Amino acid sequence: MSRWRTLRFEFQAMASACSVQIDGRDERVMRKAAAEAIAEVHRIESKFSRYLEGSVVSRINRNAGLDLIEVDPETKGLLDFADQLWALSGGLFDITSGVLRRAWDFKKALVPKVDELQTLLNLVDWKRVERHGNKVRLSTPGMQLDFGGFGKEYAADRAAAVLLHHGIEHALINLGGDLHALGARGLPGQEGEPWQIEIQHPRPKPSQPLESIALLPLARGGLATSGDYERFFIKDGLRYCHILNPQTGWPVTHWQSVSVVAANSTAAGALSTIAMLKGPDALAWLGTQNAPYLAVAQDGQVMRSSAAGEPRPAAPISSRPPPGRRVFKRTATFALSV
Amino acid sequence: MRLQLKTPVMNKKYKMKQSDRGHNAPATSVVLASLLLPGLAALSAFAPLSAVAESAPEKTTIAIKYGSYSDSQPGLDRVKVKAPFIYVQAPIAGEWSVEGSWVGDSVSGASPRLWTDRSSASNMSDYRKAADVKVTRYFARAAVSASLSYSDEHDYTSRAFGLDARWSTEDNNRTWTVGYGASFDKIDNTYSGVNTAIDQRKRTKEVMVGVTQVLTPTDIAQFNLTRSVGSGYYNDPYKSFDQRPNQRNNWIALARWNHHVESFDASIHSSYRYYTDTFGVKSHTLGVEWVQPKGQWTFTPGLRYYTQSAASFYVDPVLDAQGQIDSLNSLIKIALLGGDKSADQRLSAFGAVTVSMKVSYALQPNTVVDVKYERYRQTSGLRIGGSGSPGLDPFNATFMQVGLTHRF
Amino acid sequence: MKATLLSLFAVVSLTALGGCSNLGQVSPWEKNHLAKPGMTFGGDPLDERFVQHIYGSKENSSGGYGVGGGGCGCN
Repeated sequence: MSRWRTLRFEFQAMASACSVQIDGRDERVMRKAAAEAIAEVHRIESKFSRYLEGSVVSRINRNAGLDLIEVDPETKGLLDFADQLWALSGGLFDITSGVLRRAWDFKKALVPKVDELQTLLNLVDWKRVERHGNKVRLSTPGMQLDFGGFGKEYAADRAAAVLLHHGIEHALINLGGDLHALGARGLPGQEGEPWQIEIQHPRPKPSQPLESIALLPLARGGLATSGDYERFFIKDGLRYCHILNPQTGWPVTHWQSVSVVAANSTAAGALSTIAMLKGPDALAWLGTQNAPYLAVAQDGQVMRSSAAGEPRPAAPISSRPPPGRRVFKRTATFALSV
Repeated sequence: MRLQLKTPVMNKKYKMKQSDRGHNAPATSVVLASLLLPGLAALSAFAPLSAVAESAPEKTTIAIKYGSYSDSQPGLDRVKVKAPFIYVQAPIAGEWSVEGSWVGDSVSGASPRLWTDRSSASNMSDYRKAADVKVTRYFARAAVSASLSYSDEHDYTSRAFGLDARWSTEDNNRTWTVGYGASFDKIDNTYSGVNTAIDQRKRTKEVMVGVTQVLTPTDIAQFNLTRSVGSGYYNDPYKSFDQRPNQRNNWIALARWNHHVESFDASIHSSYRYYTDTFGVKSHTLGVEWVQPKGQWTFTPGLRYYTQSAASFYVDPVLDAQGQIDSLNSLIKIALLGGDKSADQRLSAFGAVTVSMKVSYALQPNTVVDVKYERYRQTSGLRIGGSGSPGLDPFNATFMQVGLTHRF
Repeated sequence: MKATLLSLFAVVSLTALGGCSNLGQVSPWEKNHLAKPGMTFGGDPLDERFVQHIYGSKENSSGGYGVGGGGCGCN
């Protein structure tokens, strides 16, 4: 246990490129902690993926219109959280809205017919999810729960909790753009410095697909970005993205992307998604939530809350490989969200 | 400019209301709702990060406290003690920490009783200063400490050292501790002209082993066993007819349990200590505390019950027909006894109860002010498991502490 | 008397821990409550020193909490 070093562990999870980077001195502890953090991410993916037959979410979905399903405290906690988000967003954040994706085929670039969309909209209603203590039931057959709106972010926080438990004090977890910084950098000469996070440009130049639009320093907590560029198609000059309003069934159009910083990634992810859904009311709402943000409007204009830091001239995360050693890669398992 | 992340737990704007925890009442913010998810609050917590594992403190802590104590027995002047304390703990180079404390007690008032007999009261005042320092080296899941302490009163000096080590299992659910300590005391009261103890010494050695075990997500327990052997001068030089064995060995077993009560977001601490020594004293100490945080305040009411049997050489006074102490005949009784003997009330059989209340307030996340008030009552009637020693007046004491702790 | 106290202690602890089937196997992600300041042993160091010093001078039992503390003129 002597010299400081940074280790970066890359792996695939939830259909995204993920990494865990740790600054520390005890390599054995760092590796062990990273391995357990990555195992925790896979655990959450297996437990909550609606694509896995054995997952809790699949079990609830299979019993839509049938019996009450008993769930464990972790699932109940997430359902309570989904309920809070539904209330706080004025009904815009609704985890029963996943069924709408049946109408939107992003691969074939098809705009749905009105009656097709209406049939599915009839299955979207958080109020019709019955909950009694630790039992839950979707009241109408065909209704589905989808934890994709906060699953990846929750996994980032849980992975951070695992690192924390191992005594790690300087780490950055990145699950496909949802980040959790567990303490600032620890390398000598950089102690206490925040991790510099590049925010993906929503409309990058074709020659520079990973172009960044801004640099946000993150010392501790979560940073998540919701954007209209993650999954979309363009038809007749109009962009249709994957963030769908649960009341109309149509994609949001007001923002290109919204990035939010919060005490943890779960909150940051929920805040950024709800901001995208709120459209023109987003920035005022984020103000009431005391959440620092960086939002890119449709015309490309960048709006920052006054709490967001000015970019610093430090080496950005993605433009140069970090000085750590690449340690191991895991191949894809299952996707958590569409 | 760094991003200022005000974690809502400590931000005045977002005091977590009781209603925020209910299933039906909506949280006022997304962040607060997220803190209710399993494991996420710990990421934002102000407190030490890992439950059982060892890690060097991240911040330096300075605490100052002012303690005051006064006791009384019926018909006597009070003994008053005023004690300012200062404590510092600082991390060094990421793997070490050093801590030290200093206290200066000023004692004034009547000296402790010989069978609570009034006529032998005498006034005294004394000043004691004590200091200790401890250095700890931290490893991945273990830590080793060495400590030195020194205490000085006009007639009594004590020097002690200690070494202890603790290490945790891989899952951090169990921590073993082992410790060794020794102290060297010198008693000499020629200064005050009393001359009953000239250059007397006492040496004590002790060994302790312990285990701390996480039982459930809301329960953690600890068990410690201590064995101590001591030899030297144990008499109280200010009492006539006080002759104690020149050896005292003891065994102490301590069990503690902390339980988190989710519905109140409070913790309940309970402890039990069993003590037995070669003076013949066996004692039980039972303590319970309820730690209740409420926003920036924390309220800790506590209750302690103590009971001890008398030392084998403790001498009961002679009582007259009305049950009062017959001073003359009691003195004659003890003067005529051969071998070990003592009339010191502290070696009698009695029980004692302490009721305490501590209130602390976090002025800001790193600065806490606290006040603690305790009332103590010791009487032979409170003894459980045997009868208390006869003829002893009850003894009451009040102690208070006011303190300020700051981390940076 | 010792037997009754010990059995009372055992009954209280066993009742409280009764429903737990896997005692001692707590996963890292379940330890958020244990990390709270109210769940540590030993508490405020100065508080402990002051109070233990008082009890040490008024009662005959001292120690059991740690090693290395010095003595004082309380006998």
